[in-house]
Amino acid sequence: MDQETDAALAALVAAARRSDVGRRLQGDIETRLLQSIVDATVQLFDAEAASIALFEQDPDRLEFRVAAGEQGAGAIGLTVPPTQGIVGFVYSTGQALSLSDVANDPRFNRGAAEQTGYVPRSIAAAPLLDEQGTVGVLQVLDKRGSPTFSLRDMELIAVFAGQATVAIGAARVQRDTESLLQGVLQHIGPEMDADAVEALVAAGTQGLDADDEAPFWRLVDQVSRLRSLTDRETALLADVLDVVASHATRSRRTGYGR
Amino acid sequence: MTEPLPAWSEPFADPKGSLRRSLRLRGLTREWAWGGATGKGVRVGIIDSGLENDHPHLRGRVVENVTVEIGDGEPEVVNDGAVDMFGHGTACGAIIVGLAPEVELVSIRVLGPDLRGKGSAFAAGLEWAIERGLQVCNLSLSSKSESLYPIFHDLADRAYFQGTALVSAANNVPAPSYPSLFSSVMSVAAHAEPDPYRLYYNPSPPVEFGAWGVDVPIAWKDGGTTVATGNSFAAPHVAGLVALILSKHPGLSPFEVKAILASVADNPGRRRAPRGRTGGPA
Repeated sequence: MDQETDAALAALVAAARRSDVGRRLQGDIETRLLQSIVDATVQLFDAEAASIALFEQDPDRLEFRVAAGEQGAGAIGLTVPPTQGIVGFVYSTGQALSLSDVANDPRFNRGAAEQTGYVPRSIAAAPLLDEQGTVGVLQVLDKRGSPTFSLRDMELIAVFAGQATVAIGAARVQRDTESLLQGVLQHIGPEMDADAVEALVAAGTQGLDADDEAPFWRLVDQVSRLRSLTDRETALLADVLDVVASHATRSRRTGYGR
Repeated sequence: MTEPLPAWSEPFADPKGSLRRSLRLRGLTREWAWGGATGKGVRVGIIDSGLENDHPHLRGRVVENVTVEIGDGEPEVVNDGAVDMFGHGTACGAIIVGLAPEVELVSIRVLGPDLRGKGSAFAAGLEWAIERGLQVCNLSLSSKSESLYPIFHDLADRAYFQGTALVSAANNVPAPSYPSLFSSVMSVAAHAEPDPYRLYYNPSPPVEFGAWGVDVPIAWKDGGTTVATGNSFAAPHVAGLVALILSKHPGLSPFEVKAILASVADNPGRRRAPRGRTGGPA
């Protein structure tokens, strides 16, 4: 291997490590972000429940990932076909919608209601829309202060749905190791063709053993969380690291701390 | 396309604020526009989730049901059962029949299993409706697909030139969607005044009309009813009025219909007259 490829591979391994950390944290982050959005939605509307369902394939379904509110818990894990009910309609059309007087019609949404053990009186739902289309649905059940949802409510729900879409998009990009690695490689060697990039990605992601490097991973995990620091905090951290580094140098000399 | 757009319903929330300007054509009244009209002789396409033909609120006015099949090749329009996968199409159809009781409805189902709201099915259904020469089409759905933009643009032009009035719900989410934002269609957002005849004209496009779309009692799946909010239910109010106008004045172009709607709108500044059965000042 020539020098340039060695450098690329080294960068690749580093990138793979970072990306692996991102992936380890990611499921958690995505869920936490979505959870915070439904928590806020329930609070703002003083609703019985709010939940987010994401589209999954094989088989096609909308799967409720997070829920909040007194009547929300039953929804988590529930799946509904994208061709049925309000959630299916909103997913299929990308149109937000609200219905009230739902409980008066026993035929309506019976399946989902039986599964969650809760029959709502009113439902508002908005699509999670990204550039490619609808990725899921945000649903709010039973605003306590009012039997129906207003236009303003619908707009607010759409705003929360927009936040959820951004959260999902950000998490998915970060979770996608390959896209990150390929980005790194293309930055290093813009002239590399797709096959070469792929070969390097395969080579670079081999042999990353999490167990052997547990203390390392802990450190990387911590570092990965520092991305959101302000400049001032970063400067402070650098100072702290200076102290640790000089302490380590001294320790090595004296044998202290081993 | 990434610029945030204003909330479509905002102008209609406070008509006294932003809807001051409106067209006033002398002699053009609601009585002239649709007084005595029933929708007779007008076929309205409902491009949606299907129509439940025997729903009592549709009053037996459905004359044809088709759907779009997407196989390996080109989408194909085929006969369909009298079914509504969600209830949404039936809701829209029933609003139109409520305003224009002798209208004939044609169901063009573009939602449901195997379609999953595919924009290409939507486009194929719209093309079929235009080719069939339906006078009005209600589109309480829209596509965000950038790739379908030119197709919908072409279809909207064809509809406009041949005299099919497209009435389209603005997406409830204020984001670009087609064909609702094309200049030739009648794009509708919701207002909250519970009156099926209450119509506002917004001189600041793209959404030009406001109609009732909040807490609307609607027909729903399996012969049922519910109450719903959304621009989806505002558009068929306008489609119903368009059907009335066209049944009384056959052959008007979409441009002429739009001008009539703008002129008889309830924008402030209008001389108030007692509301008669045409639903507004005569």
